[in-house]
Amino acid sequence: MIVDRNNLPEDIRDLPESCFEIVGSEDISDEPFKTEAIGFFKDAIYRLRKNKLSVIAFWLITAVIISAIIVPHLTGYSPTAQNLAYRNLPPKIPGLEKLGIADGTRILTNRPKASLSEFPEGSIIQIVREYKASNVDMVDVKVDYYKFVGVPEGEYHWMGTDYLGRDLCTRLFLGARISLLIAFFAVVANIIIGVVYGACAGYYGGRVDMILTHFAEILDGLPYLVVTILFMLLFGSGMFSIVLALTVTGWIGTARLVRAQFYRFKGREYVLAARTLGVRDRALIFRHILPNAIGPVITRAMISIPGAIFSESFLAYIGLGIKPPNPSIGVLLSDGQRVLLQYPYQTVFPAVLISVLMVSFNLFANGLRDALDPTQRGEI
Amino acid sequence: MSDSTYLLEVKNLCRHFTSGRGKNKLVVKAVDNVSFGVKPAETFGLVGESGCGKTTLGRTIIRLYDPTSGQVFFNGREISGKMTGELRRYLTENIAMIFQDPIESLNPRMTVEEIIGEGLKVRGVKDKAEIRRRVVEMLKKVGLNEEHATRYPHEFSGGQRQRIGIARALIVQPKMIIADEPVSALDVSIQAQVINLLNDLKEEFGLTILFIAHNLSVVKYFSDRIGVMYYGRLVEVARGEDLYAKPLHPYTRALLSAIPEPNPLTARNKKRLDYDPERDHDYSREKPEMVEIEPEHFVYCSPSEAARYREICRSAVKAGD
Ligand SMILES: Nc1ncnc2c1ncn2[C@@H]1O[C@H](COP(=O)(O)OP(=O)(O)O)[C@@H](O)[C@H]1O
Ligand SMILES: [Mg+2]
Repeated sequence: MIVDRNNLPEDIRDLPESCFEIVGSEDISDEPFKTEAIGFFKDAIYRLRKNKLSVIAFWLITAVIISAIIVPHLTGYSPTAQNLAYRNLPPKIPGLEKLGIADGTRILTNRPKASLSEFPEGSIIQIVREYKASNVDMVDVKVDYYKFVGVPEGEYHWMGTDYLGRDLCTRLFLGARISLLIAFFAVVANIIIGVVYGACAGYYGGRVDMILTHFAEILDGLPYLVVTILFMLLFGSGMFSIVLALTVTGWIGTARLVRAQFYRFKGREYVLAARTLGVRDRALIFRHILPNAIGPVITRAMISIPGAIFSESFLAYIGLGIKPPNPSIGVLLSDGQRVLLQYPYQTVFPAVLISVLMVSFNLFANGLRDALDPTQRGEI
Repeated sequence: MSDSTYLLEVKNLCRHFTSGRGKNKLVVKAVDNVSFGVKPAETFGLVGESGCGKTTLGRTIIRLYDPTSGQVFFNGREISGKMTGELRRYLTENIAMIFQDPIESLNPRMTVEEIIGEGLKVRGVKDKAEIRRRVVEMLKKVGLNEEHATRYPHEFSGGQRQRIGIARALIVQPKMIIADEPVSALDVSIQAQVINLLNDLKEEFGLTILFIAHNLSVVKYFSDRIGVMYYGRLVEVARGEDLYAKPLHPYTRALLSAIPEPNPLTARNKKRLDYDPERDHDYSREKPEMVEIEPEHFVYCSPSEAARYREICRSAVKAGD
């Protein structure tokens, strides 16, 4: 130790070196913490729960998923059994029917007045309009359509039936189940491929990165619909082809994001510290970089679920959906829009469900993004 | 060949960063032809202003960066050659690093136990209880306690985090530590604490330390020898007391004059020197090189400057008599 005597006051300047000691050399020992240890994900969940909209969105999503699992079994109808006699029945819900909504009634227009007597007994509720056309008495008549086509008393179709007499409620939730599954598989596949691919490009950098990035760009340039149709031809129109079609180019965005994240995190001092300790590449990627870089990837996955549902619907809409008679939300929308003017309810129900899913997933993803943002850590 | 008096010997080490290609190619000579040695069990202080290449030098020695040219020897073995698994193992067993930023240098997703114990795991210690025992032992050495092992870094203060970083480096029992400005980001009151801890542990483990700092006030009290760096080059190397008593290179004098004085009486008539290489050197005719002016006192200078420096030393000795 060198004692800098020039800077000392005169009276102690000539003391021997042994009289000096560095301040702060007493033993240090810190108090234990009083509070509970909180890990990052625990903290994130805590902050997610503070976000009301996300919580609501989360429960909506949960409700849809549970419904998709159990409702098709509860209705008591087969989703595929056709009954041409009962086709295009309007919605009829027990309880609500007394209020005048969803009571299974319909207005039949342009009926010869004479034919009213042939209507089943008690099916006529009200004559809405009477008029003459080519000297024949015509009426518009509001009927209880269930009685009109002879559905037994006590049988209800909550969302009506479609053009083949299949119960729409059963089909809608079964369709939701299939759509969600397709979206889930597509997103999981995209995330796995995207993370591994992006991690390699970002971690190794240089030539590896260049080759991987260019390959992804070429793939991104392929005409998506052509590829999809090709898959349909090869593997038939089913869930597998659709998941494949959604994966071919779907992972590229994730890979780009992960690559950028890796460039951001691989030079951090804790990664360098691990390298000086001899930690191997695999552990560096999956233990040190990925957990810190994964936040935006999770958010992206959440956001891309409604995207995948929407893409599936789009494919179904242009006739590239899953194999009939299985429903998906897209198939139902596609069927419904053909009779949109006569039977609007056949479009409205699937449209509402897909909207709820899209909005919920987006709100939930937003909350998740904020919760996983490390700069907001510790804030309430 | 390497000199056996040194544990770590750096010979003509260069590390250049290039960016761009062709006409836009830009070369930053972060470390340029640096040579020095660190003796066993000594503390070598490396000083220079921010951006002069200290971090790059430290990282090139431990092979976070590959050297552009030059050689590094550790214990007589060259560690600057082609990277192999065996060399990596040799390096990790012998040299550890302490980093500058107490926030950045600990993985926020790992507990203190995972962070400190990782070095053991890499070395094949599988037994959880054994790892736990050694982590707790190390925590106690750096003034933390068992309960801290399950915590995440964000719950600690800067000084505590830096001590965790020290524990992480020391648990693998390296022969040498490269400490890259370990206290620059800390409060002055905490700096002494961390430096003293490092000093105590150095005695206990018989460590050799390469201590990097951006001003002399931090290193002068406990470095055995000090190297001064300026723009990628080492300009002066000397024993601590020599450097302090007779700084020769104008840049070293400027650095010394920049240390704040605790005594207001002497602070008032202290002169701040500045350094301007254009003005202070004339290298148009003579090429500068590392010259040993006195035993163990090296200065980067031209022959005529060397003669002048020798004169200064001789007169300093006379004044001392
Ligand atoms: N990875 C890098 N790529 C390009 N230039 C770098 C890199 N790291 C450091 N440099 C440059 O090298 C010089 C020395 O940097 P550094 O070693 O960090 O200095 P110090 O630690 O002394 O502050 C600086 O000019 C810096 O811009
Ligand atoms: Mg630095």
